[in-house]
Amino acid sequence: MIPIRYNVRSLIVRKATTIATAIGIALVVFVLASALMLAAGIKKTLGAGGRADTAIVLRMGSDGELGSTIEESSVALILAAPGVKADEHGKPLGAAEAVVVAAMSKIGAAGVTNVTIRGVTDDAMTFRPEVHMVAGRPARPGSDEAVVGARLVGHIKGLEVGQTFDLKKNRPVTIVGAFEAAGSAYESEVWVDRELLRQAYNRQGFFSSVRVRLESPTKFEAFRAGVENDKRLGLQALREPTFYENQSEQLAMFIKVMGGIVSVFFAAGAMIGAMITMYAAVASRQREIGTLRALGFSRFGVLTSFVIEAVLLAALGGAVGAAASTAMSFVHFSLMNQASWSEIVFSFDPTPQVLVTALIFGCGMGLIGGILPAVQAARTSPLKAIRG
Amino acid sequence: MTLTGLAFRNLARNRFRVALTAVGVAVAIVAFMLLRTVLNAWGSASEYAAKDRVVSRHKVTFVMSLPRRYYTDILAAPHVKEATFANWFGGKDPKHEHDFFATLAVEPNTYFHVYNEIQIPPDQLDTWKHDRQGAIVGSMLAKKLGYKVGDRITMQSGIFPGDWPVTVDGIYTSTTRTIDQSTLFFHWDYLNDGVKALRHEPTWDQVGWIVSRVDEPGHAADTGIAIDKLFDDRDTQTLSMDEHAFGASFLGMFSAIFTAIDIVSAVILVIMTLILGNTIAMGARERGGEYGVLRAIGFMPGHVALWVVAESLFMGLLGGLIGAAIAWPMVNQGIGPFLEANMGQFFPYFRLETSVLLTGILAAALLGAAAAVIPAWQASQLRVVDAVRRVA
Repeated sequence: MIPIRYNVRSLIVRKATTIATAIGIALVVFVLASALMLAAGIKKTLGAGGRADTAIVLRMGSDGELGSTIEESSVALILAAPGVKADEHGKPLGAAEAVVVAAMSKIGAAGVTNVTIRGVTDDAMTFRPEVHMVAGRPARPGSDEAVVGARLVGHIKGLEVGQTFDLKKNRPVTIVGAFEAAGSAYESEVWVDRELLRQAYNRQGFFSSVRVRLESPTKFEAFRAGVENDKRLGLQALREPTFYENQSEQLAMFIKVMGGIVSVFFAAGAMIGAMITMYAAVASRQREIGTLRALGFSRFGVLTSFVIEAVLLAALGGAVGAAASTAMSFVHFSLMNQASWSEIVFSFDPTPQVLVTALIFGCGMGLIGGILPAVQAARTSPLKAIRG
Repeated sequence: MTLTGLAFRNLARNRFRVALTAVGVAVAIVAFMLLRTVLNAWGSASEYAAKDRVVSRHKVTFVMSLPRRYYTDILAAPHVKEATFANWFGGKDPKHEHDFFATLAVEPNTYFHVYNEIQIPPDQLDTWKHDRQGAIVGSMLAKKLGYKVGDRITMQSGIFPGDWPVTVDGIYTSTTRTIDQSTLFFHWDYLNDGVKALRHEPTWDQVGWIVSRVDEPGHAADTGIAIDKLFDDRDTQTLSMDEHAFGASFLGMFSAIFTAIDIVSAVILVIMTLILGNTIAMGARERGGEYGVLRAIGFMPGHVALWVVAESLFMGLLGGLIGAAIAWPMVNQGIGPFLEANMGQFFPYFRLETSVLLTGILAAALLGAAAAVIPAWQASQLRVVDAVRRVA
């Protein structure tokens, strides 16, 4: 076999060409990796809110909390269903909440966007232990105070700790704190007092969703049967992870498909770039190839050598592109999620799987782009080549 | 032979490499044109909006509704010629679970007056107006799901419980590109009565938004302000704006995607420039000797640079033209009609605009020239002695 060192040196000798081609491949890998990272980030953000031992109850037929309405009288029945865990005082653990969206202005972009506003009770944070304050303090129960998810701060105008916004006319709400929630979609929400919200939005007598903590994940089927069997209630129960998976599926798929289509186009372009480079390399190294063949290296040896060179070139570009794409994890990307009709701030999640996929994709480009030139190299007649 | 003629002729010397490069450029330009068309298609709905229509919605959010009586108040406002209202129903046909289409409950007597670009055969419209359970469906939707006049559809909604049977009374088409032809319209009264029967209190006598037509476009902005003032002291405030601003405000939700596509469409041009630059640099390097000879017989460094730049420009232009020749039929005969038929609610009009086409071709040619700057400079700076010596 022809030593790989030969290929490495060849690449170094023609460094301008090598760099230009590698940058082309790096850009493609960067775009692909970013799209995959975003899809992974969407899954992570929307999935992070789901706990296996928690069930969410919505009105039958609703895909999200926004369109769902549950009559106040149903809440007691839901909490009394089998499998619901009780706290140390024997009170069932559940959260009946009201969810609306409000149009707010984005920072650094024209137009408005929908921000989820969740009306919660004072035990919302005990119910979700992952939620903790990162600035300011929690809102006082029953007051005109709000806390905002940390990811909204700096993204939406007027949502900084200490500022106020109008829930409706002459009902200013003061933001007293910002919270984090293990990277989940809650971090893109505003939380206010439940009664305040229902009053401001004319939702007296109704809630949007009821979440309950189950004694154990295995109790879900019993709980569901209890809630869904009473057809008059017209309710459906879902495991929280399932609910969030439904919410994220469409968006993550959209990003993956878009990113995939764009990457394939880009890859075709960059692959042709690699092909041009390799053809030129073969053409200008006729004598070398002839000498190698004369020394006794087989056609197949020459072929593999050039394919390896092309893959090395692509791997270099792919590595640079994948490495650069990890910098995207510092970027926040806010997207409209159609499933919840609100904007959620996502991050790019550089999972090892994504990086490996992108790298393999890059090497594949080198492999495909390098084959034809390598075949040409292998067909070089040693005699003709040496004669020049 | 002119100097640029020589540059043009140079293209034919390594035909295979030039062909490959042109294909690379063409692929990049096709991708660029596609991405720009996606951006244009999203923006087009708001850009071609009617200038004389004012949309009023709940001040805080468009998912909350307005009291029905606001409609009467708005009708009485100065400069308002006519008005109508609609509700987002969020319905789907359970027989086609995965086909999303817009369903609107509208005021039957006025809606198609205000939206007069929606065209319905007069007899069908008349039947529909008198059929409380009637529906008007878009021609694209009818084609896709096989709806015919007289068909019964049982709709279900994510917002309003129960089954909602309707009869297809008519099929609409549209004369403008802002109207998506996959919407289903039905009577607002039917929805409201159903909601009352369900004791679904928050949505009784509520309308999603009110659209008014003003006597002349110049009055749209003032009328919007006047309408908002009307309700300033009421329980629910409104936010009114002309249709263009209304559409544009929705786009704010997608701004991150727009930015991403914008950046990505620039990235593909960078990749293209790298391919072109690489090819032209290789060519210039191989021809160092010739340039030496040309310099020796009296041509100036500027001439050499010109040849290199012109050759690259021609190569870019060639690729750009091939790209345009592929993208034009691909979008306008293939992808465009397909998206309009199947994803009309997102892309009511998906066509490659002439301006995008010209931008793409121009970008290919100019970036071709730009890619050649460094190789051209290097070639022109070669000392004649060194260059000629290379031949040997």
